[in-house]
Amino acid sequence: MKLSEEEIREITFEAISELGDKATPEAVKELVRRRVESMGGDYKLEKNDVSTGRVILTSFGLNHPGIVAGVTKALGDANCDIQDLSQKILGDFFTMIMVVDISASQKDLKEIQEEMNKIAELLKIKIYLQHEDVFRYMHRI
Amino acid sequence: MPYEFGEILETIRMTEIEHFDIRTVTMGISLRDCHDRNIEVTKQKIYDKILRYGKQHVKLAKEVESQYGISIANKRVSVTPISIPFDACNAEEFIEIAKILDKAAEEIGIDYIAGYSALVQKGMTNGERELIKSIPFALSQTKRVCSSVNIGSTKAGINMDAVNIMGEVIKLTAEKTKDNDSIGCAKLVVFANAVEDNPFVAGAFHGVSEPEIVLNVGISGPGVVLEAIREAGKVDLQQLSEVIKKTIFKITRAGELIGRKVAEKNGIPFGIVDISLAPTPAEGDSIADILKAMGVENVGAPGTTAALAMLNDSVKKAGLMASSSVGGMSGAFIPVSEDMGMIRAVQAGNLSLEKLEAMTAVCSVGLDMIAIPGDTAATTIAGIIADEAAIGIINDKTTAVRIIPAYGKKIGDFVDYGGLLGKAPIMEVRTISSAGFVSRGGRIPAPMRSLTN
Repeated sequence: MKLSEEEIREITFEAISELGDKATPEAVKELVRRRVESMGGDYKLEKNDVSTGRVILTSFGLNHPGIVAGVTKALGDANCDIQDLSQKILGDFFTMIMVVDISASQKDLKEIQEEMNKIAELLKIKIYLQHEDVFRYMHRI
Repeated sequence: MPYEFGEILETIRMTEIEHFDIRTVTMGISLRDCHDRNIEVTKQKIYDKILRYGKQHVKLAKEVESQYGISIANKRVSVTPISIPFDACNAEEFIEIAKILDKAAEEIGIDYIAGYSALVQKGMTNGERELIKSIPFALSQTKRVCSSVNIGSTKAGINMDAVNIMGEVIKLTAEKTKDNDSIGCAKLVVFANAVEDNPFVAGAFHGVSEPEIVLNVGISGPGVVLEAIREAGKVDLQQLSEVIKKTIFKITRAGELIGRKVAEKNGIPFGIVDISLAPTPAEGDSIADILKAMGVENVGAPGTTAALAMLNDSVKKAGLMASSSVGGMSGAFIPVSEDMGMIRAVQAGNLSLEKLEAMTAVCSVGLDMIAIPGDTAATTIAGIIADEAAIGIINDKTTAVRIIPAYGKKIGDFVDYGGLLGKAPIMEVRTISSAGFVSRGGRIPAPMRSLTN
């Protein structure tokens, strides 16, 4: 579960008013982090400056049965952990985006990409695998 | 999901459809410790050093390419301006050095190595004079070596003696490479206010204040900006500027990421990201198309300079927000041969050399990849260089001339290099003479920096 920006902002403002004069950026950050963690559950503040072992898999193509099965099976076989999955059908078109953690896989990104290229050809779809950082850099400040 | 559907698709669209790529990752290598009294030892030192640092360059860049799904069009190397460490050499020895640079470039698998250069804005040493004299021979006897000469700066003025020599050098280079459409001239840039950290070949060199080794990156992406402008539809110019800035922000961030990763893999420091919009001859990868999408009927129409000025400025503003390591040229390039839209504008008679010159006052560099008749006088070329340098030093910006007096060709003909250099129609140059002015020689004094009306 992810906190919305609105919620994070609220927590931050509370922290700033609580700290008063002592509100240095570090102190605020620390207090907010503690607050969020104390909320229990799996709330987590995303660390923004640490590179992860995650990749974004994007696939498109004409919809037909077996696409999700084909892609996920290959990922499972390579010991990749699918952390998030979002899929849409637009008319005849199928789009699927996954966040995949490949850090536990015995294969590196290049090998997984090659594997996916084979599957893409077989299923007549397009599959792109890119390191998460590129999206983080482009869309998150 | 940590990213929105739309965000992910936007990135994919940029890299897969709109030609967003990293134009170049350029490794800057200092050769200042490579001099020896024996030219053979010097050559060996140069070769060894380039190989030591550059051997893995292409391979590591390719790894980063596939990791992030963003292609890196060119992997290149720039070196210390050759005239500086090897000032004691004569022209023949400089040509030998050019050949060893060529060999090293081939060995590490890069297409161009730049820095066969001299900085002579105030005056020339004997070595610099020799190097400049050797340029036509060096460029005609090598494939990968690129050369540049800085002949003016805001602090020093314009060295007109050097400008005159460069007029002759360009002519001779065209003649020496006449069998390949005078391609030597495509590898020779004459600068005013040259920057030391420019990653874009042919004008790249590893400046004297740069570290031992550094990795600079030049981004590209006219196609991405073009699509964003088209999508924005009918909005006013302030809103349009916002659209451009948002797009540039994103591609600059990606560019910096790629540059840092390539540097990290090489184990060398990251230098700068040059946020230039650099076109390629590919369809949809054109600055001219952006200007047209902004609203002018074709490049060359009144309003073109204003549109380009706004584009250039928006690019800089967004880039500076996105990265703390902005450097190089950082703006919009307007080469003719490398941009299909520009070529079409020239062919349709809409774009003249004079309009291009006006545009260079607000773009990031200058008159770039322009082919002119082979019988253009050297003094006329010197006049063109002087004009362009004057725009640079008065406006405190980099300007450059990369002009091709295509040997044996006249208006209506083409030079065609294929690949990224593209093809250029021969443009008309006024035939009235500049000789009386340029042949006075000496130096145009440095301009004043106040009362700048």
